[in-house]
Amino acid sequence: MKILTSLVGMSLALTLFATSLFAETYGAGLTLKETTLVSAILENPDDYVGKTLQVKGLIVDVCATRGCWMYIAGDKPFQKLRFKVTDGDMVFPMTARGKEAAVEGILQKFVLTKEQVLARKNHHAEETGEPFDPASVTSGETFFQLRGLGAEIEDK
Amino acid sequence: MSLRKLSHALHRDAGYLCIGLTLLYALSGIAVNHLRDWNPSYKVVRVTSQVAPSNYRGVLSEAMVFDLLRQIGEPTTYDNIFQSDPTSVMVFVEGRVIEFDLPSGQVLHEQVEPRAFWHAINYLHLNHPKKAWTWVADIYAGGLILLALTGLLLLPRGKMRRRCFILTIAGCLIPVFPLLFYY
Repeated sequence: MKILTSLVGMSLALTLFATSLFAETYGAGLTLKETTLVSAILENPDDYVGKTLQVKGLIVDVCATRGCWMYIAGDKPFQKLRFKVTDGDMVFPMTARGKEAAVEGILQKFVLTKEQVLARKNHHAEETGEPFDPASVTSGETFFQLRGLGAEIEDK
Repeated sequence: MSLRKLSHALHRDAGYLCIGLTLLYALSGIAVNHLRDWNPSYKVVRVTSQVAPSNYRGVLSEAMVFDLLRQIGEPTTYDNIFQSDPTSVMVFVEGRVIEFDLPSGQVLHEQVEPRAFWHAINYLHLNHPKKAWTWVADIYAGGLILLALTGLLLLPRGKMRRRCFILTIAGCLIPVFPLLFYY
């Protein structure tokens, strides 16, 4: 009887934890059936602002300190799109770099002044440890990112 | 059983139950408080090396990437590549990232490994598993509230002495000061 109780208990515990321990799904996961190409978004970003989009691609960078953002490579050369989530809402592992992901989020537009660009790039350099020359920032800029709702990362 | 005896028993047993999680949350708390000084979850090893500057530009072919890998003594195989601009390439190889700056020939090798102990406790502390672990963490928080309240009733000879009162007030004031200065 004791063994049976233990087995039932262990099965229950495994059921409760299994989806979390072995899942590659983050946040709300994926809900959309249609994928939008990064190239299409970046060619006419204003058309997509405020819309919920699903994007697929290679993870090329991950926030080293909090795992709160990833960059997804585009389908065309030299393109990538930032996928940002609220700190702690989803935490992407640094080891996800080089893996394929499908992510969903709302496209946001940010118009930054030169000072804001400086602060943002400085913060990014601190997080990644990459060198940053403040003189490289000469003007403000506009950038777009997906405000993350959910993601799935392949498990190799 | 008197209220005092019940409080004592509850405080003792809840205390034993909370030891493991208290150590976990406290150690991880210290670790993640110092995110600016170190990465508490991952060990990131960066090594630079130098090869001859390359004339490759634009979208690199597989043969070009193999050639670059050969120059640093890597096997000619990779999982994926990414180019953020026409003068550099990131090569993903078995969990490592190798970045080539083509004009300068500078190569950055980066390897990321989860820290054996810290990654695990931060994973739990920051509630990465979500789901059932959220319940466990909530129950633990409830246990801490129980410890605090039953602790108040652990009075020497049943009386709230001046020392107990002062320490309790001091403890409650600790979070007030940072709120006054920084909030």
